[in-house]
Amino acid sequence: MKVTLKILKAEKIYAPVQIDELDEKRIVPNMMLRRRLTRNAKIMLYLADKCSYNNNKVVYGSAYGELQASTSITEAILREEQISPTLFQNSVYNTAPSYFSLLHSDRDEIITVSSGKNTSYEALRTAALQALISQEPVLCVVTECINIQRIEEVNTCSSYLEAGAAVVIDVIEEDSTKISELKESDNKKIMESLKHIWWIAENKNGEKFSIEL
Amino acid sequence: MNAYINAYASQSCAGNTDTLMDAIYKQRSAITIDSTYIKDTPVGLGKMNNGDFFTILKDVVAQVLETSNLSNFHDTLLIVGSSVGGMAESERHFFQDKNYKNINPKKHIISVIEDTLVEHFSFLSARSISTACTSSANALLLAKRLIKVGAYANILVVGADELCSTTVCGFHALGVLSSKPCSPFDEARDGMNVAEAVAALLIQNRPTKDAVELAGVGASSDAYHMTNPDPTASGAFSAMKNALEDAAVASEKVDYINAHGTGTVANDQVEALGVEKLFDDVYISSTKAITGHTLGAAGALEAVVVCEVIKKGQIPPQTSLKKAENKNIHLATRVYKREIKYALSNSFAFGGNNTSILFGAVQ
Repeated sequence: MKVTLKILKAEKIYAPVQIDELDEKRIVPNMMLRRRLTRNAKIMLYLADKCSYNNNKVVYGSAYGELQASTSITEAILREEQISPTLFQNSVYNTAPSYFSLLHSDRDEIITVSSGKNTSYEALRTAALQALISQEPVLCVVTECINIQRIEEVNTCSSYLEAGAAVVIDVIEEDSTKISELKESDNKKIMESLKHIWWIAENKNGEKFSIEL
Repeated sequence: MNAYINAYASQSCAGNTDTLMDAIYKQRSAITIDSTYIKDTPVGLGKMNNGDFFTILKDVVAQVLETSNLSNFHDTLLIVGSSVGGMAESERHFFQDKNYKNINPKKHIISVIEDTLVEHFSFLSARSISTACTSSANALLLAKRLIKVGAYANILVVGADELCSTTVCGFHALGVLSSKPCSPFDEARDGMNVAEAVAALLIQNRPTKDAVELAGVGASSDAYHMTNPDPTASGAFSAMKNALEDAAVASEKVDYINAHGTGTVANDQVEALGVEKLFDDVYISSTKAITGHTLGAAGALEAVVVCEVIKKGQIPPQTSLKKAENKNIHLATRVYKREIKYALSNSFAFGGNNTSILFGAVQ
């Protein structure tokens, strides 16, 4: 079953190692909350802010999730050190959208998708379902932060170790067979898990696409 | 289009679905006391102890296929719910080698469960959900909606999480682990038991014999704290209310609630308050006193339990309950035999992520 999506907003950001300017002080004025944010959370909040989205349903995606937090925990266990409670609460894959919910007092549904290299495609399909069910625009964000010191197995596997893209989608009643299908970006520097959402974020504001639920 | 649970299977520290239900009704906790994960600190854990996790995963899914009306999963969407993915395997390599060289990143991440099942069974399509302890409950939520809009005829939901040091030591760091089998909703409860499980449910758009309806789904966010639930219970209340509204079922029609009921002070207090606010008189119990908290697998495992409860017409008692903290909810103190038309299952998670699933008997 295919539905037609209209792209209401689309944004992306990336850096070879670390994204420098995420406007954190303005976006998260509460210092205590700001200090707890993970890199994925900072990027997600930045992209949501760029999309002017602060309420309703969110679908977040990440193939690697909070890898920095989970590796720090296993290293602490190996050293027989106490684990920081904040580190543990920040290790779950839904950490970034949970901070979004806290920041904006958004009490709506949050779904986190993690499907390896297909993550952004599956996140977009899930967001399309959520938009269809709620008949409201839905924010879909996918981020990856694999700038993990000491782990060369991941921190050399992509040209951009930090990257994210966000789209606000709405399902519209238009014959999906007459609309072009969602494609993946041919940007070789972007991690595979981001390629479908990246294609939309490459200046596709206002355009329409069809997607299989 | 309505959604029906037509086949299911599970494996947990209490064994398969039959032995699990036997343990639940006989109030026999399957939690064991372990001193290997945390130095000098015994904790109650729910360990499967019957082989390799990924072999169990494939066995459970094979059992569902065997008991279903399908000959394969080629026209079935797979939705996996997991909170740790392949973390246990990564830890084994890391603790032995003290470096990351032998860790395959693709086998560390959440999607390793999806990849393993797709490779072994071949599905039409697959995706994985990871919202911590609501992961497989949210997989059920999406499955119900996908069937409702007519996108799929067959969806397999799998909840799977393996015990690992990160979760055991992490919950220890939060100070919420019990050193004995947990006692949800008891005045003297002192924490939860981390556990592991695999549960799989085949959801289809037509009922087969002995089907249970996946009648309603609801979700919400607390927007309160990363780990502590909103003390007003507004998030838990909204998720349960949304599930009832989705099914157009009044609260007085619900016969049983399988609670999230982890046994932590904060969760049980807030969940009981949410139930008290929404329901007048409904039996409630948490089967985590038997299985422990199976994290991302909990929603699917407890969906299997609720299907069994509806089919057997027997409300499970609250194991380990001596003195209830909240006197305004109706904790089941023994097995009650009765017709069960509707039963609700709650799952709550880090980030204030709440999901409730309403199950109904097929008339």
